[in-house]
This record gives sequence, C-alpha cells and structure tokens, in this order.
Amino acid sequence: MVGYVCKYTPYLVIESFGEKAERIEPEVNNYEIANSLTHSNICSYAKLVLEDIIRREIDKVILTNCCDSIRRLYDILETLSFIRFLHIIDLPRKRDQRGRLLFKNEIIRLINRYEDFSGKGFDRIKFRSLLNSMTSSVERRYKDLNIVLIGSRCKDSLIKSVEESGGSILYNLTCTGSKPQYRPIGLTEDPIEAYANILLDSYPCIRMDDIKERLDIITGEKRIDGVIYHTVKFCDLYSYEYADIKDKINIPLLKVETDYTDTSEGQMRTRIQAFIEALRGRNNREKEFKNAKKKLIVAGIDSGSTSTNVVILDSDRKILGYSILPTGAKSLESAYKALEEALKMAKINIEDLSYIVATGYGRISISFANLEVTEITCHAKGAFFLNREIRTVIDIGGQDSKIIKIDRDGNVIDFVMNDKCSAGTGRFLENMSRVLEIPVERMGEESLDWKEDLEISSMCTVFAESEVISLIAKNKDRRDILHALNKSIVRRIVSFIERIEGESRYMMTGGVAKNIGVVRCLEERLGEKVIVPDEPQIVGALGSALIGLERLEG
Amino acid sequence: MERVIRAYSSLIKKNLDKPELVKFLIRLGLEVAKLWVDYTGDKYVPESLRYLNSICFKFILEPLREPENSGFVNLLAPTEILHSMDIYPLFIEAYSSFTSGFYCEDILIDKATTEGISDTLCSYHKAFLGALEFSILPRLKFALTSSILCDGNSNTFRYIAKRYEIPYLIIDIPYEYSEESVSYVVSQLKEMISMIEAATQKRFDIDRLREIIRLENESKKYLRLYLEELKSHTMPNSISLEMYKLFVTHPYIGREETSKFFKLLAEDITKYPNSGYRVFWVHIMPYFSYPIQRYLNFNEDFNLIGCDLNFDYLEEMDERRPLEAIARKLILNVNNGSFKRKIDNIKKLIVDLRIDGVIHFCQWGCKQSFGGFMLLKKEIEKMGIPFLAIDGDAVDRRNNPEEQINTRLSAFFELLEQREKRW
Repeated sequence: MVGYVCKYTPYLVIESFGEKAERIEPEVNNYEIANSLTHSNICSYAKLVLEDIIRREIDKVILTNCCDSIRRLYDILETLSFIRFLHIIDLPRKRDQRGRLLFKNEIIRLINRYEDFSGKGFDRIKFRSLLNSMTSSVERRYKDLNIVLIGSRCKDSLIKSVEESGGSILYNLTCTGSKPQYRPIGLTEDPIEAYANILLDSYPCIRMDDIKERLDIITGEKRIDGVIYHTVKFCDLYSYEYADIKDKINIPLLKVETDYTDTSEGQMRTRIQAFIEALRGRNNREKEFKNAKKKLIVAGIDSGSTSTNVVILDSDRKILGYSILPTGAKSLESAYKALEEALKMAKINIEDLSYIVATGYGRISISFANLEVTEITCHAKGAFFLNREIRTVIDIGGQDSKIIKIDRDGNVIDFVMNDKCSAGTGRFLENMSRVLEIPVERMGEESLDWKEDLEISSMCTVFAESEVISLIAKNKDRRDILHALNKSIVRRIVSFIERIEGESRYMMTGGVAKNIGVVRCLEERLGEKVIVPDEPQIVGALGSALIGLERLEG
Repeated sequence: MERVIRAYSSLIKKNLDKPELVKFLIRLGLEVAKLWVDYTGDKYVPESLRYLNSICFKFILEPLREPENSGFVNLLAPTEILHSMDIYPLFIEAYSSFTSGFYCEDILIDKATTEGISDTLCSYHKAFLGALEFSILPRLKFALTSSILCDGNSNTFRYIAKRYEIPYLIIDIPYEYSEESVSYVVSQLKEMISMIEAATQKRFDIDRLREIIRLENESKKYLRLYLEELKSHTMPNSISLEMYKLFVTHPYIGREETSKFFKLLAEDITKYPNSGYRVFWVHIMPYFSYPIQRYLNFNEDFNLIGCDLNFDYLEEMDERRPLEAIARKLILNVNNGSFKRKIDNIKKLIVDLRIDGVIHFCQWGCKQSFGGFMLLKKEIEKMGIPFLAIDGDAVDRRNNPEEQINTRLSAFFELLEQREKRW
C-alpha cells in the first residue's frame, strides 16, 4: 500500500502499477511519537499522519509540498529507516499554462521514480482505462436542513455529528469531500497531461492562487440552510477565508476547530447540535415520552464537566427543587444522584415527573432523559426567563466558556465557545487556586482588596501559571496576583464578546460567575453592571426544564 | 525612555477609532526614532551598525511618506524590480516588529483574532492583519509576495489586496531547481512587472534592473568579505541589530545605502579582536526579550556571531540575465525546498565561523521552521555543538515566558562555559 494525504496527489498512477493507494486518515488519538520528532505546534493532522505512518509502518508514502507542516513531515520521514519509497510532488499554485506543464512533469517524475523503485514498467493503456473508469457525478438530495461543509479536511466523525443532529451535508467542500471532475480521455489525448489538468481543475484548496470559485457554491446555491466552517488546530490557512466571509454571507455560519483526534468529540457535537437547533428554530429530536401526567412537573439536568445540576419545575414555572453536585468520574451516576437530591427538596418522587430534559457535556450519557438539548440553547432559555432584558449570556463553566447572543424573543442568534484549551475557565481558576494555596470559593472576595495593578499577559493556562509562579517568586501580594488573573480571564471573555458583537444587558452564568472578582473586572471592562442570578450554576438546568415544559404544552 | 514609548503606545491605542490620526502618530514615532538614532546613537556601537540602524528607519519610512509610490511586500519578495523602478517596498514583517516596538502588538493581534484569524498563526501576520482591520495601514499601490519561507504570505497578501482593493501577486516558487522551474518563475516576474507598471504608471527598464543587480553583487561581495573576517574577529552586536540586518540582506539589498553599509561592515570587523564564546542564532529574534538581551547584547563573553536568515543566498547573480538570476536566487534560497538545504547551510556556517553553541528560536506559529527543529538539533549535536531551542514570539510579548527563557539560557551558557572551546 502507498499512503498519500493531499487530494491533488496523482494516486491513479500508483494504482496503474497494480499497487493500492490509500489516503491516510489517522485513527490514532495521540501524538506520542510525533511529539518526539517534531514541535508540538505543527498542524495536528500532519502530526497524526506521522504518528500513523510510524505505528502502521507504512513504508511507501507520497506527499505534495502543499503546506509548511507537510513539507516538514516529508523531511522527517526522510530520516526514518523503514520507509522504502518516499516522494514529494511539487504542486504549483498557479493553474496557467506553465503551472500545468510543471505539474505534468511532476507526474512524469513520479512515474519514473516508481518505475525505478518497483522494477515495473508504466502501462499507458492501463492508466488510460483506469482514468476512464473514474466517475465523479454526485447526486444531490435536498433535505430538511441542507448544510455545506467547507474549510480544512475533516474526519468522518464530524459528518456523522451533523447527520445525527438532524442536518444533512449537501456539499462537502473540504479536501476530504470534494472530488475532481473526471471526463473520458480520448485515444489521441495524452493521459498524463489530461490527468494533470483534471487534478488542477478540481475544486481549489486554499493554497491555490486563484480561489475565486471556492465560494461560488455558497453564494449561488439557494437551498443552503447553514454553513459549517471547519479548521484544524495549528493549520491557520483557512482562518483567513473564515474571517473574510463570516460577515459577508447571509447564511448562518458555524466555525468548528478540531485537532483531528476524537478526544474533543463531545465539544464538537455540542456546537454542531446547538447550531442545528438554532437553524431549526426549535429543539432537536424528540423521544417518545411515556410519563405524561395531568399535573406537569419537569426536570432539567445539566451534566457539566465539573458539576451536575438539576432543576425541578412545575407548570407555573415555579422551581420546586434544585441541586448542584460534583460530576465525578461517572456522569450517569452523578445525574441520578443530583436528580434524587432535587426530588427530595421538591418532596416528590421520580414517577411524578412528566418529562426530563438533559443538557451539558454529559447529556448523551443520560439515558433516562426524554430529550437532549445543548447547553447553549438551555442557557439562553434560562437566562431570558430570569431576565427578559438579557441579550448576551456569558457562561463560564468548568471546562467550557460560551458567549451566547440572544434576540428580544430569547432565541439564540449567535454564539462562540472556547476550543479544547481551558484558558479562562473554571479549570483554570482551580489550577491557580492550587498554585496560590487559596480555596476557589475565596479567590473572588480576596481579589477585591488589590493594591498593585499587576499584569498576567498570557491567556494560556500553562504560560499564565508560569507567570503566576514568577510573581510569587517576586513576593507579590496574593490579592494583586488574583486581581491580575481576573483581568486575564476577563480579557478573554471580552474578546469572545467582541467576536459575536455581544450587546447589553449581560448575564453571567456558570460556576465562575460566583467569583465576585471576575464579575467586577468584567463590569469595569463592559462599563455596566453584569447580572448574576442567585444561583448561576443552575441556569442551564433551568433552561432545559423550561424547554421540557414548552414541549409538553405544545 | 520606556515610559515615553509606553505613553506613546497608549495614545495610539486610545485613538484606534481614528485611523488617520494613528497613521500620523506611527509615522511621527518612526520619524522621531530616526532622529534619535541619527543624533544620539550609542557610540559603543560600531559605525557600520549605527548606519544600519539609521537606514532601516529610512527604509521603513519611505513607503509611509509616499504611499502612492509604494507596495506591500514580504521578506523574500523580488524587490530588485521595485528598486529598479524607484518604488518603495513596505516589508510587512518589519512593520509588525515596529508595532511591538511601540507596545501596540497586543491590541492589533487581539483585533485580528477577534475577526476570526487563527490565534496559532504567526504573530508577524496577526499584528499586520490587526493593523489592516483597524485601517491604520496606508493604502499602497499593490501587494506582492513570494511563496518561500511561510505559508501565511499568500493568504495575508490576498487578504490585504482584497480589503484595500489593490492588485496582488504571489510569486509561486517551485520546490526544486530546474530549467522549467526557472521559466515558471520568470513568467511570473514578467507578470509582476506588468502589474506594477499598471498600478504605478511607471515604466520598467531592464538596464536599470541590471544596475540594481550589480549593486546587489557588490553588497554580497562585502558580505562575503565580512564573513571571512568574522572567522577570526568578533564585533559588538545585539539581537536588534542582527534583526536589522534582515532589511539589508533581503528587501533592500539592491539599494546604494545597503552597499555602503556592507562596505563599512567589512571594514569595521577588522578593527575588533576575537573574544569569548561564539553563539549562532537560528531563525528570528525576540529583540525585546530581556533575558536574551542580557546574554547576547554587546557581550564579549558570549558573542552573537550571526543569524542563519542573513546568510540564505550568497551567490553572485548574473546581471546579464537579471530576471533569470532573480528566479534562480528565489528557487535556490536555502529556505526553499527540502529542510536539508537549511541544515547543510547552518552546518557549513558553524564550521566556517567556528561556532561554539547554537540557539534555535521556535517562533510562535512558524511551522516551517520549528517543524524541522528536531532534525536540526540531531545534526548539530552530531557535530558536538550544544544546541538550545527556545519557544517564544518575536512580536507578541505575551507569548514569551521570561522566567523559562531565562532559566534555559542560563543553563545553556553554564554548559558552554563548562566545555572546552570547540575550535
């Protein structure tokens, strides 16, 4: 088998030699070996390819000089002794006559090298018939919610998430989705030249010089409901296009960044589901509910990364009971426990519940819920219920931070969420509380007495920790360090707010809202008071219970 | 001094909603800095390097003073053609560096990432794009980049051109040298000439380009002389000055001022003895980093001998066929193609310049360089030369963990001192 990565790779040449060519789609979930051979900040996909090649001992590899990370991947592979055939194709950025000639010659160079390597001769006739056997017609089926997927290459799990959330991919324009337009090659035509042209004329990736046609489908196709823009961590090239189009296209747009492993699938699913919920304008798939009772009582369960929170609500929207428990290692178990506690407070039994809605990071594990809805929709719902003037919800939880913009009817208009990185989240504060030897609960109060205005410039948890340590080493007052930390968290929040053009009034929810120091700093930056509910941790659960009631009431 | 710059910085930051005022303030700041350099320059610094400092301010000011006669370029753009047409290049990496000199890079970078630009992109690009988003960049006549060294270029330049509605061209440099690849580049250079002629209404003259290549050859001749002398002399140097050399080894190499500088440099070097450990730097430098300054600025014990980026193409160019010569220079640049070219060049410089230790700077977002740093490390260690890699950012101060950099550097220099000198 010969492995390759780039869609412009002339892999049919290899197949005409009777060798199988396989596009490398790494299934590994860590970069253990790769990180010892290169820097950890090169493109996540390139690192995983390196990891996969080594683990599977793929001994024949063809790359293109498509980007800096892949070029360096080639240089590293060159030093690995088990690799028997390694080739890099010089892919021109220009598709003019000279670019085409260059690329045709590159295909010939590959043929010559493979002939030398395999000892077999290149069979032009076989190659032509192989080329003629390729088809590229794709039947497009319009469905309820038609999504265009564009940006960096992506894994099948992303597509699956879209489909499981109720969306259907009408066009996959990423490198892993778009196929070249094959056409019949006549007997008098040079098949190598024809193949070079077919490849160069395929839907251009961001690396190519002339990319005008990239957005034609999005602007020309009338039946697109939403666009999902995918980027790979440490591959920065597509972010330019995203930045360029985000305010220009009149179609809802979601940006999703993955590191090409499955480790952040939960977060990715939350975003996609929330996006599709927002597109639908109603909540997602409904399960059959069997517990309908005359007097409606619903439970909302928010299974977060740090705490599991439950709210029990009756049809008068009165909170009968609630609970906040640490999530621990098993989210389902914690959900049961938190539900039991809330039921105890409400003085009712589980049988009295008509409907259960689950939200939060662990929502999919809560098998006894009738409905699962993302925390984005739920926080918006909960916050708007508590105060109808709220237009921006700032939810900073244990591992995620989300800024949600809502309209005057309480619907989600836009939202932004952090990536895998825990900068500015509850986890960040927990880390710092250990370093500064102060319980998390006391951090806010103590920071209010600051005197010296210190700066912690890095937003990265790791770098910020090292800055905190050097401030401790300089004997700085803990209150001043805490204040500097709050400012750094707020800087991140404000940049998120700006990203979605958040508007007044603001409500802060989630565990970090209990830190009065962060809230005060945020108020200072925003120039207005930020509303914090009495119990900011249950807003998501409250929202999910409200959605449950709306469901029952039709 | 720092307090003055901080006050100036906060003035810029407060007025970002008034782009014309900020453009004026940036130009004013650079004009004042140039006067400062011209009249109060540090007498301890060799004459050639003081002259270098002055001409770099001149070069960066030219396109700001005359935007209607200027274009945006990157470090490795074929600016010889611009010089031959008396058009000023604004080299974007330098602009970004100056924004951090003014303590403004944070707000610009945050602006770019708020607009959707990836935060893992190189900060040279992010700061520049932030300036674009705030509309504080002058609107120049065109945007021109080559594809060497960095993936960000083609996208950044396309982005500028689209935003400012100006013509743009990327010179795509093939991976390998061949007759076809030269002709592929030459045809793009011709396209570039037509674009610039149309954008500036100026005429290109091939004989004038030959003169520029002649000047470039003259500069290279002095640079080679300097390199020869550098084997047995060490000259006072600093990380900022070594970065300033990028101006004259790259976008401004065809200029008369540059040729004068290299002549002075080749003379100056002979005036200094050989002293201390000889340290070689790979990739760019965070000139503001206090721990690095402390160890490498004007230090007779640990001499900063040079930076690989300043020695990436030393060949004489064929002035009879200037376009082909430029194409050849671009394709054969050691930073183009396989990483082995870069490694071999550094290894050769280590031997030629009798280097005792190598420091590799892993610039935030620069995949092309840090992607191969382990390969370089292995090769250099095979030569018995200590190698240190530092993670940081030459534009965004926030990405430089000072304490960590300090500890690593201290340990590295302790290690050097414990060893016998290599050469």
